[in-house]
Amino acid sequence: MSKTTQAPNALRGVGNYIDDRFHLAKTGEKNLRKVFPNHWSFMLGEIALYSFIILLISGVFLTFWFKPSMVEIVYDGSYERLQGVPMSEAFASTLHIDFDVRGGFLMRQIHHWAALIFVAALVIHMLRVFFTGAFRKPREINWLIGVAIFALAMVEGLFGYSLPDDLPSGMGVRILQGVMLAIPLVGTYISMFLFGGEFPGDDIITRLYVLHVLLIPALLLALIVAHFMILWHQKHTQYPGLGRNDKTVVGTPMFPAFAVKAGGFFFFTFAVTAGLSAFIQVNPIHLFGPFAPTSITSGLQPDWYMGFMEGSLRIFPNWLDFTIPIGAGYPIMTAVLVPGLVIPGLIFGALALWPFVEQWITGDKRAHNIADRPRNAPVRTGLGVAGIIFYGVLWMAGANDVLSETFSIDLYLTTYIFRVMAIAGPILGFIITKRICLGLQRRDRETLEHGYESGVIQQLPSGEFIEVHKESSDETVEVLSSKRDPSSTALTDEDVDASGVENPDARKGMGKFRRKLAHWYTKDNVSVQGLEPHSGHHLHHSQEHLSEEGGDVER
Amino acid sequence: MKWITARRRHPLAGYVVVILALALFGVGYAALAPTSEEARAQTLSAEAPAPDDVDIAEGRAIFDQTCASCHGLDGSGSPTGPDLREVGSAAVNFQVSTGRMPSMDPDNQMPRKPMVMSEEELADLIAYYDAEIRDDGAGADVPYEVPGNEPQREDFEDEGEYDAALETYEAEYDAYLEGADDTDMGMKLYLTNCAHCHAWSGGGGALTDGRWAPEIDDASPREIYEAMVSGPGAMPMFSDGVIDPDEKQELISYVKTLQAEPDAGGVFALDRVGQVAEGFIGWTVGLSLIVACAIWITAKQRAHD
Repeated sequence: MSKTTQAPNALRGVGNYIDDRFHLAKTGEKNLRKVFPNHWSFMLGEIALYSFIILLISGVFLTFWFKPSMVEIVYDGSYERLQGVPMSEAFASTLHIDFDVRGGFLMRQIHHWAALIFVAALVIHMLRVFFTGAFRKPREINWLIGVAIFALAMVEGLFGYSLPDDLPSGMGVRILQGVMLAIPLVGTYISMFLFGGEFPGDDIITRLYVLHVLLIPALLLALIVAHFMILWHQKHTQYPGLGRNDKTVVGTPMFPAFAVKAGGFFFFTFAVTAGLSAFIQVNPIHLFGPFAPTSITSGLQPDWYMGFMEGSLRIFPNWLDFTIPIGAGYPIMTAVLVPGLVIPGLIFGALALWPFVEQWITGDKRAHNIADRPRNAPVRTGLGVAGIIFYGVLWMAGANDVLSETFSIDLYLTTYIFRVMAIAGPILGFIITKRICLGLQRRDRETLEHGYESGVIQQLPSGEFIEVHKESSDETVEVLSSKRDPSSTALTDEDVDASGVENPDARKGMGKFRRKLAHWYTKDNVSVQGLEPHSGHHLHHSQEHLSEEGGDVER
Repeated sequence: MKWITARRRHPLAGYVVVILALALFGVGYAALAPTSEEARAQTLSAEAPAPDDVDIAEGRAIFDQTCASCHGLDGSGSPTGPDLREVGSAAVNFQVSTGRMPSMDPDNQMPRKPMVMSEEELADLIAYYDAEIRDDGAGADVPYEVPGNEPQREDFEDEGEYDAALETYEAEYDAYLEGADDTDMGMKLYLTNCAHCHAWSGGGGALTDGRWAPEIDDASPREIYEAMVSGPGAMPMFSDGVIDPDEKQELISYVKTLQAEPDAGGVFALDRVGQVAEGFIGWTVGLSLIVACAIWITAKQRAHD
C-alpha cells in the first residue's frame, strides 16, 4: 500500500480506540472484503429489503397520528366533503394524516406504494432463486425462511389495508371473515374470537393494528435478519463462468465498491417509491369514504398480492358444496373453503416443499454454489412457469370485473375463460417451456461445438457458400461446458442386480414412484459431456479452406 | 361644433374617438343584451315547457319517424320494443336525452351517445307522448326541478346569451347540489343502492350476461333522477316512495360532488379504477424502474459471445 491510502490520523485514532476494546479489525476486514457476485438478478432481494426499510420508517411516521379505534365520532376536520359524517376514529385519524399533518398524505402514499413494491420484489426475488436452483443444498433453510417472509408479507399487507376502516378495508375484512367461517367446525369460533363477537364489532381494527405494527413486523424483521445472516455465512450463489466454482466466489468486494452500489440502489428504490407517491394517487380513502356494513361497491379489489386469492374465490365453482346430514344439516362451503384456504395452501406448500421434493427425486445431496442456468433444468423451469401461469390466471381472475368492463367482455365468459386457463394454461406452459429449454440446450451445444456465427459469408472454391463460425470466448466456453446432466441416484441402481435379484427399492410403491419421477425429471437432456469445444464441422471446414488458400485464419 | 372642429386634429383625438366608441358599444350592449331572467326563459332548463311552446303535431311526426318502427304507432310496443304507455315521460326524457334511444340495435344494451334531436324536438316529442300515448299519469313525470344538461353553445345565437344561460344553469346546478346537506345520508344511499353496479366512483362496472352498468360521470342530475324513477334496462326502479325526492337530492349531490372532487393524492388518479390499476403501475412502472436501475449499476463489459 502506498502512503496516500493511509487513513487520516483522526480516523485511525477512532479505529484503534474501537479495535482496542472490541477487537473488530480482523472480523471487520474480513466482512468488508466479502465478495458479491455482479449480476442484476442478485439485487432483486435488495429491492425487497430497501422497501421494507422504507415501510418501517414511513410506518412509524403514520403511527404518530393513527388512532386504531372503532369508536364512532362525527368528523369535523379540514376535509370539507365529509364534515358531519359519522365515522370511526381510525378513519378520521387517517383523514387527519392526509389533510392536517404536514407531509402526511405523501407519507401514507409512500407507505402504500412501498408495500406494493415490497411484495412484488419478494416475488421476483423468489422466482430468481427458484429458476436458478439457488434453493438447493445448502440453502434449503433460507428458502423456507423466504417462503415464510412472503406469506407473512401478504398477511401484513392485508391487515395494513384494513386499518384505515375505509370502504375497501371493510370489504376486505368481510371476505377474510367469510373464509374463516367456511372452515368446518372451528370457523365460527375463530371468527368470533378474532372479531370479539359478530362482524364488524368494535375490536377488529385495534387487534389488526397490534398485529400489523408489532407482531408481524417483528417476525418479519427477525426472519429477514436470519435470512441475511445465513446468506452472509453461506455466501452468494453465482452464475457459472471463468474462475467460478463451488468453492470460489467471483465478484466485487463489499467495501467500497459493493457498498456504494447498494447504498445508491437504496436511494434509487426510495426515489422511485417517492416519485410514484408524489404523482400517482394510491388508495384514496378520502374518496372511498368510511366503511359501513351496509355499504358495498363493485370495482374494488384487494391490493395486488391478494389478487390471486380473490381470483380463486371468484372462479371456483359452487357445484361442490354439500351438507353433512347431522341434525339440521351441517353445510360444507367448498366454494369458499377450497379457493380461500386450500389453493393458497397448495401454492405455499408447493413452494416450501419443492427443494425437498427435488432432492428426493434426484438424490442429490451435494452442496451447490453455482446457480443453474434455467434451461439446464428443463423440468424445474417448466414447473416454475406452470406455477407462474396458474398464479397469474388466478390473479387476473381477481380483476375479472375490471377486465370485463375495460375490454367489453361478458363477465360470465371471463369466468369460463379463466377456469379453462387455470387448468390448461399450466400444462401448456410446462410443455412449451420445457421444449424451449431443450431448444436452447441444443443451441448451446451447437455454439460449444461450432463457435458462433460471425456473419461473414465466404464462397469456397467449389462454389459453395458458407458462413464462417468463430470460436467463442473462453468465458462462453466455460459457461457452456460447465453444464451438468440431470441425474438421479434412483436411476443408477439397476432394477435387477448382477445375481438376478430384484432391487427391493424398485419394487415397492414409493421406490417405484420415485424412479418414475426421476426418469421424468432427467429423460430429456442435450448433453455436452465429453464434447470438445470448437470441434465442430463448420469451424474446421472453413479453417481448412482458409489455410489452403493461404488466407488468414481468424484470430 | 367649433369646439370640436378646433380640436379634431389634436394628436390625442383618434384615441378619444376609439375610447368613446368602445364605451358606447359596451354600454349599449349591456343595456340591450338579454338579462339572465330572459335567458332562463329561453333555455327552459328548470321549468316544464309551457303548452304554447310545444308543437304536439311536430312531436307526433318525430315519434312516427324515429320511435314507431319498434314501439308501434300507438306506443303499445312490438317484438323489438317495449310498450311505452306506462313508462312515464321521465323514461322518454332519459332514454332520448342520453342518446340511448333511438336505438341502433334493439338486441343490445345501448351506450350513452350524443342526443340525436334538439332540445326543442325532444320537448315536442314528450308533449306528444304525454298527450296521446301515455296512460293517464302512469309512470313518472320529467323532474323539471332537477337540473338537466348544461346549455350547449350551438343552441344560442350569440356568446352573451350563451354565457348568461350557462351562468343561470350553473347557479341552479350548484343550488341543487348544495341544497343537500347530509353527506352521510347521500353516501349511505349511494353505497347501499347504487355502488354495487355503478362502483363507488360512479365509474360503472360489469354486470351479468354481458350487460354493464354505465359510468355516470356524464349524467346530469336530472338524468340520474330519471334513471332512478324509471329503472332503465337492468336497473331496478327506485320510485319516489322508496327513496323520496329529498333523499334523491342527497344521493345525486353525493355522487356528483364526489366526481367533481379533485384527486388530492396526485395528478395521476388512474381513472379511479383502484387497486387493479395500482398493482399494474406498481409492477410496470415502480418495480420495472428499480430493476432497470439494478441492471444499470451491475452492468459491466462482457466478453463477446
